[in-house]
Amino acid sequence: MLAELINPYYLQVLSFILINIILGISIYITLSTGQLSLGHAGFMGIGAYTSAIVTINYDLPLIVGILLGAIVAGLTGILIGLPTLRLQGVYLAIATLGFGEVVRVLFINWEGMTQGAVGISSIPHIGRELVTGLRDTGFTADMIGIRSNQLISVLVFLILLVVTILLISFFVRQHRSRVGRAFAAIKMDESAAEAMGINITYYKVLAFAQGALVAGFAGALYAHITAYISPSDFSYHRAVEILIFAVFGGSEVIAGPIFGAIFLTSMPELLRDVSEYRYMIYGVILVAMMAFRPQGLIDYNMIHKLKRLRKKKDQKTIDEKESKRHDIGS
Amino acid sequence: MILEVKEITKKFGGIQALTDVSFRVNQGEVFGLIGPNGAGKTTMFNIITSMFPPTTGEVVFIKKRLTGKKPYQITKEGVCRTFQNIRLFPDMTVLENVTVGQHCRTSSGVWSGVLKLKSQRMEEESIKRKARDLLRLVGLEELEDSFADNLAYGQQRRLEIARALASDPKLLLLDEPAAGMNEKETNDLFELIQKIKKLNMTILLIEHDMPLVMKVCDRMAVLNFGKKIAQGTPEEIRNNPAVIEAYLGREEEDELA
Repeated sequence: MLAELINPYYLQVLSFILINIILGISIYITLSTGQLSLGHAGFMGIGAYTSAIVTINYDLPLIVGILLGAIVAGLTGILIGLPTLRLQGVYLAIATLGFGEVVRVLFINWEGMTQGAVGISSIPHIGRELVTGLRDTGFTADMIGIRSNQLISVLVFLILLVVTILLISFFVRQHRSRVGRAFAAIKMDESAAEAMGINITYYKVLAFAQGALVAGFAGALYAHITAYISPSDFSYHRAVEILIFAVFGGSEVIAGPIFGAIFLTSMPELLRDVSEYRYMIYGVILVAMMAFRPQGLIDYNMIHKLKRLRKKKDQKTIDEKESKRHDIGS
Repeated sequence: MILEVKEITKKFGGIQALTDVSFRVNQGEVFGLIGPNGAGKTTMFNIITSMFPPTTGEVVFIKKRLTGKKPYQITKEGVCRTFQNIRLFPDMTVLENVTVGQHCRTSSGVWSGVLKLKSQRMEEESIKRKARDLLRLVGLEELEDSFADNLAYGQQRRLEIARALASDPKLLLLDEPAAGMNEKETNDLFELIQKIKKLNMTILLIEHDMPLVMKVCDRMAVLNFGKKIAQGTPEEIRNNPAVIEAYLGREEEDELA
């Protein structure tokens, strides 16, 4: 029964959606201080390669490798963030684009470490490692009546789901705190923010490093889910793809890039029949977005209206209860 | 004496925006900085708050040198400003705008904010309470959930003042707070400035509305073409021939004679 329900293929698509959501969050954080970065594919690659190399060459446990990948990407983010701080808008985008290309070329040419354009294969797989670990404790897939590869996909999906939910709640909470307000103030008016006592250098580097860290984290997870990475996974196309999650879904609230990542990752799967035209459809969507809704589908106003609607609804139920009580009373 | 501006000169390329301007502001007074358009008043504000550095000269605030500090450090020292062209955070609510003003007086970081530690929750409570108090002071308490962008012009100016007050300044710099206001709004503003003064605040005011300036200022300095041409009480300024000349031009009889 359970065995028929679990389709590894769909679970894999869902897993990629989750990774893309994490990437969407990473670009959202950087954008939330108004910094437009095209270097996130580079950070993602740094996370992926770091984790793959340390787990293969130094036999470090997966979780250490993944965290290390994220941290190295985050530190690189600080290094890149500090000098590019003075740049804004398109200039920052070009500088970070250059950074991404440098990283990719480094992956291609540093063959001793990265195996060049061929890429690194047989990277330890999160699901398989876990299943092996479970087998040692005496638990196998047959015990719950599913095949081993089904268990692998389920485990991968569940781990990613938990990680994604934790990340979202982290950044939702951060957004509602003093740090989040500082980010928003810097995005809306940098000089006014600084005049109000906000150390903009600190917060911009913080946002940039957080974005890089999360992108590196997503990259490391990606490496251990596909078990194979090559420099072309982290090319310019990937950087644009990540940016488009935010452009399409909206970058003003975290729900925007999350929605963008879900929609744009699942669409090609849903549109199998017209898959030949899917890049055309992407293009049309983007042109239409820029023309009619440049801030993305989900924006402040929409969230604000939803909140107000909910408030009104609550008020209404309270009123109804009141009036009912009144009726009973009389 | 709370603020001392010492021999400030500012050149923008070939243009001399300020030449050797000095003045002192005493604790608790409302000091006006007036002068015709382009006299260098806002430039002076930008130098006091380090939006850009002076070419020569220095600004000293309660025995500390402000020149060379970053704008956010100056706010922390206790000098906060409003802007001539209103610069609120447009997509934030009225309440959020005022909470941002308290940034340098609060300390929660990433982790305490994400983990919602008790200290952070208490800090948030006090931030909100203080923000609401300030909104009541400027008369915007009813509008705390509106977007700043949707406020009327006069309300936006009041909100900017509330936001600046949120940083607990000892010296408040107001850059043309009455610009674009009608008579009633200007009167309300006058009362607001009186109220703020009673909070033991020193105010440095740039303003074009002469009746307001004369009513509200204890002392003032007059700039013209980047130079200080007069300083004194409103009464002294009103009768100062150099000031009258700067504002109205020389009388024709003089030229004929």
